[in-house]
Amino acid sequence: MGISPAKIKEATAEALVRAGSSFTPGLRAAYARAVALETDERSLWAMRQFLENADVAERRTLPLCDDTGIPHVFLEVGESAEFGGPHLGAVTEGIAEGLRRLPGRPMAVLGDGVQRIEQSQGLSVFSEDVVPPAFLVKRIPGDRVRITVLLLGGGPEIRAKTYRIFHKHHLETVMDEVAQWGIEAVRELGCTPAVVAVGLGRTHFEAVSLMLEAMALGDLEKQTPLEQQITERINASGTGPLGLGGRISVLASLLNIGPQRASGVRIASVRTCCGIEPRRATIELG
Amino acid sequence: MRTISVQTPIRPEVIAGLRVGDFLEISGVIYTGRDAVLPKIVALSEAELVAMGISLEGSLIFHTAVSVAGIGPTSTSKVEIEESISPLSERGVRIHLGKGRLKADTMRALQVHGSLFAVTTPSTALLTDRILASEVAAFPELGMEALHRLRVDRIPAVVAVVHGQSIFDQQVQRG
Repeated sequence: MGISPAKIKEATAEALVRAGSSFTPGLRAAYARAVALETDERSLWAMRQFLENADVAERRTLPLCDDTGIPHVFLEVGESAEFGGPHLGAVTEGIAEGLRRLPGRPMAVLGDGVQRIEQSQGLSVFSEDVVPPAFLVKRIPGDRVRITVLLLGGGPEIRAKTYRIFHKHHLETVMDEVAQWGIEAVRELGCTPAVVAVGLGRTHFEAVSLMLEAMALGDLEKQTPLEQQITERINASGTGPLGLGGRISVLASLLNIGPQRASGVRIASVRTCCGIEPRRATIELG
Repeated sequence: MRTISVQTPIRPEVIAGLRVGDFLEISGVIYTGRDAVLPKIVALSEAELVAMGISLEGSLIFHTAVSVAGIGPTSTSKVEIEESISPLSERGVRIHLGKGRLKADTMRALQVHGSLFAVTTPSTALLTDRILASEVAAFPELGMEALHRLRVDRIPAVVAVVHGQSIFDQQVQRG
C-alpha cells in the first residue's frame, strides 16, 4: 500500500513549520565552531543573538525571521515508490497548511503579471498565498519518499548570482570566481554569518538546481577541502556577522558539482544564505 | 563595549554622544517602513504628516515589515529605502535601523543632518517579544508594508554609521 496523500500533506506542513522555526543540528554545530574561533566582541554579540533567537523560536515554534521566505520543495522519490499527481497536490496543500501554521509572512503580490511587477494591487492577507515554484524531483533507490522543504529569504536572493566562468579547464579559476562572488555578496548581505551554497553545472537551470540541492541535502558538519577553501577565503575578507567585522563571515560552505559540458566554460550558481539559513527540514515516508 | 539606552524621541545631543560600534537598547515609540511606504512618507508635506498624527522629529524608523510573522530588519540598501534616508533625516528622523552597508552619499547625508544608521540581527523571535503595542500609522492599504507605529522595549542594535564614520570601513583592520 502506498503513502496516502493525507499523510504527505501533514508531513509537508510539519516540515515547513520546522524549517521556519528551528536550526538544523548542522547549523547549530557550525555556530558552535564559529563562536569558539571568534575573538571579536561585536561578532560574538551578533552570533549569540542568532543563537538566542533560534532557542526562543524553537521553544515557542515562532518564525526565525519575519521574512519567512519563499517555500521551495526538493523531492526524492524512490524508484519503486507509488507517487503521482495526487501526491504532488498533497505537497502543495501541505505547503499552504504549513504557512498558515507558522505563520508565514503574507507577502503574495496580487493582480495580473504587470500589476504584480508594479505591486499596484496590494498584497494578499493570507500567508498561504505565497505559493512555491515548481518542485525539484530526484529519483533515488528504494521505495521511500523524502520531502525537503526549504524557505528562501529575500536578502540572499538579492545577492545570489548565476553566471558563466571561462575557466580554461582549471579548477583554480572556478574557485577564484566563486570566492570572489562570495566575498562581494557577503559584504552586501547584512545578515551574515552566511552559509555559501554553490552549484556547478552545464546550464543556468542545472547550476541553480545543484545549488538548491546543496542547500537541501548538504552536510554542514562534514566539510570537504574545497568547501573549507571557500569558507576560509571569504572569511579572510573580515566582513564578519552583520558586517561588523571579525573572523567569521561564513560558517560553512556547501558545494555541489554536477555533470559538466565539454567546453572551456562552467556555469556557477552561488547563493550566500543568511545567518538563519539554510532553513530546511526533511520528512521521510514510506 | 558600552551599551547605551536610547529613549524616543531622540534628542540631537544623544546622537552627538554616540560612536560607531556602540551597543544600543532602544525603547519608546518607533516607526517602521520599507520599500513601498518610505517614498510615500518622503512625498508628504509637513501639514499632511501632522494631519496623520506623525511626528518625525527625534524619531526612529526601523526598516521592517510588520506582519503575523513578526518584525526583523530588511536590507537598507534597497533603492527605495536608502533613498529615503537623506530626506527623512532632514525632517528629523534621528536613527535609521536596518541592516547592510550604505553608500558614501548616504553616509554624508546622515552626518549633515545629525542622524545615524544602526543595524540589528534578523532575530524575529526575540525582537517581536519586545513589541508592547502596534498600530498602523499611515497607508493601511500597503498591508505589512504600511507605516506602523510600535511601542518597543529594549530593541538591541549596534551603531554602524555616525559622524561620517562607518563600522563597515573598519572591518579589515579588525577582522
